[in-house]
Amino acid sequence: MSQRVRMQFSIVFSAFLLNIFYNSVSSLYFHIGETEKKCFIEEIPDETMIIGNYRTQLYDKQKEEYLPATQGLGMFVEVKDPDDKVILSRQYGSEGRFTFTSHTPGEHQICLHSNSSKFSLFAGGMLRVHLDIQVGEHANNYAEIAAKDKLTELQLRVRQLVEQVDQIQKEQNYQRYREERFRQTSESTNQRVLWWSIVQTLILVAIGIWQMRHLKSFFEAKKLV
Amino acid sequence: MEVLRGRMSCREGLLGLTVAFLCCVGSVRCFGQSQDSEFTFLLPAGRSECFYQTAIKNGTMEVEYQVIAGAGMDVDFTIVSPKGARLIIENRRSDGVHVVEPMEEGDYEICFDNGFSRFSEKMVFFEIIIEGQGGDVGGDDEFPGVEEPDGSLLEYKLDDIRETMDSLHKRLERSRQMQTVLRAFEARDRNLLEDNLWRVSFWSCASVLVMLCVAVTQNLLHLRTSKGKADACSLTPVLVVFPQVYTVRKLFDDKRRVYT
Repeated sequence: MSQRVRMQFSIVFSAFLLNIFYNSVSSLYFHIGETEKKCFIEEIPDETMIIGNYRTQLYDKQKEEYLPATQGLGMFVEVKDPDDKVILSRQYGSEGRFTFTSHTPGEHQICLHSNSSKFSLFAGGMLRVHLDIQVGEHANNYAEIAAKDKLTELQLRVRQLVEQVDQIQKEQNYQRYREERFRQTSESTNQRVLWWSIVQTLILVAIGIWQMRHLKSFFEAKKLV
Repeated sequence: MEVLRGRMSCREGLLGLTVAFLCCVGSVRCFGQSQDSEFTFLLPAGRSECFYQTAIKNGTMEVEYQVIAGAGMDVDFTIVSPKGARLIIENRRSDGVHVVEPMEEGDYEICFDNGFSRFSEKMVFFEIIIEGQGGDVGGDDEFPGVEEPDGSLLEYKLDDIRETMDSLHKRLERSRQMQTVLRAFEARDRNLLEDNLWRVSFWSCASVLVMLCVAVTQNLLHLRTSKGKADACSLTPVLVVFPQVYTVRKLFDDKRRVYT
């Protein structure tokens, strides 16, 4: 009986592990020093939700591999909007998830740094941070939506397609706004080049005329001409 | 005995349900979550940043990067396999696309190096697209967890619809990735243009100022020689204009000697 129970338990546990492993196998990671601040820039249209998931690991010298960090070690997350105003500034634990929604289109800056004040905590090594940032439609939790609205698989898929198309359309609109700004800058540069050349030529000519007249009167005064 | 068997089958049923539920949770969690990552970050001058991506065998990993801001607009790019072999080395390129077929399982290291630049920091955009076996885009798989509609008569049609919607979803993902690339190109051009605008304004003002200064200082010598008194205002340009004044006066002194 107990053997059967153990087998069942191991099956459940391995299925659980498999899912965890499968879901966490592909995230990108990087190394961060103790006082180092790493910033990422996300250029997004307005009213777009961003979810960031991160997970930290510390190098264990005895086992010579990266193990999940201790509870005391956390990460400080700071998000700035395109006008350099801070819209999110919070401290999370060694594993965290931060969410924010953009209200102005443009470049948002997401900065991470560790909150460790003890210099020996990193043991001379680096902290390994697994980071995953999901933008817009990818940030939706479909399990929740399916459960809340009681949708079947096809209905959920259609809902996802609608969200995807919405996102693409928002991005296109933002692209149009950016292109307009680009065109304005380009025209402004052209105009400035033209006007400054004309002004410089006029100044040169005016100075030339003035100098000629001045020199003429100077030479006449000195009785050289 | 019957009761025991009944209880055992019940427990097995429960076990099966638990496994199925966990699979559901896992699958629905990856419903809509692609395994692709894209980041834009600032690379300070003289530094190198590395990112690590776990790759599965028999898949493909597409890495695309672009430098979107910074004087020179170039960066060194390398991809190192988990065993330490350098797969791709590029020096001072402004953009690139590479498809890596992972022969080994493990973490691939993707590095950007700005060591050759002493003052200018670069903004780099990069994107990693992971494709599993069979060439399907992203990590979205079939989702058996969510409740399926009833009706075996319609199942044939339903499968068709499901396949069409799946391919639609993949194509929309691809359009979104293209949009991201175009956005990076546009951002790069816009940053370059804004730099140019600032440079044009600055150098135009500077050259006009230089012209005016030169004109004023050249003519100051007339005022000095004709008025013959030292003005407090002209003390500063004197340092600049002294060699000019001295030379020109020397010239006139000589001429006067010749004439008299």
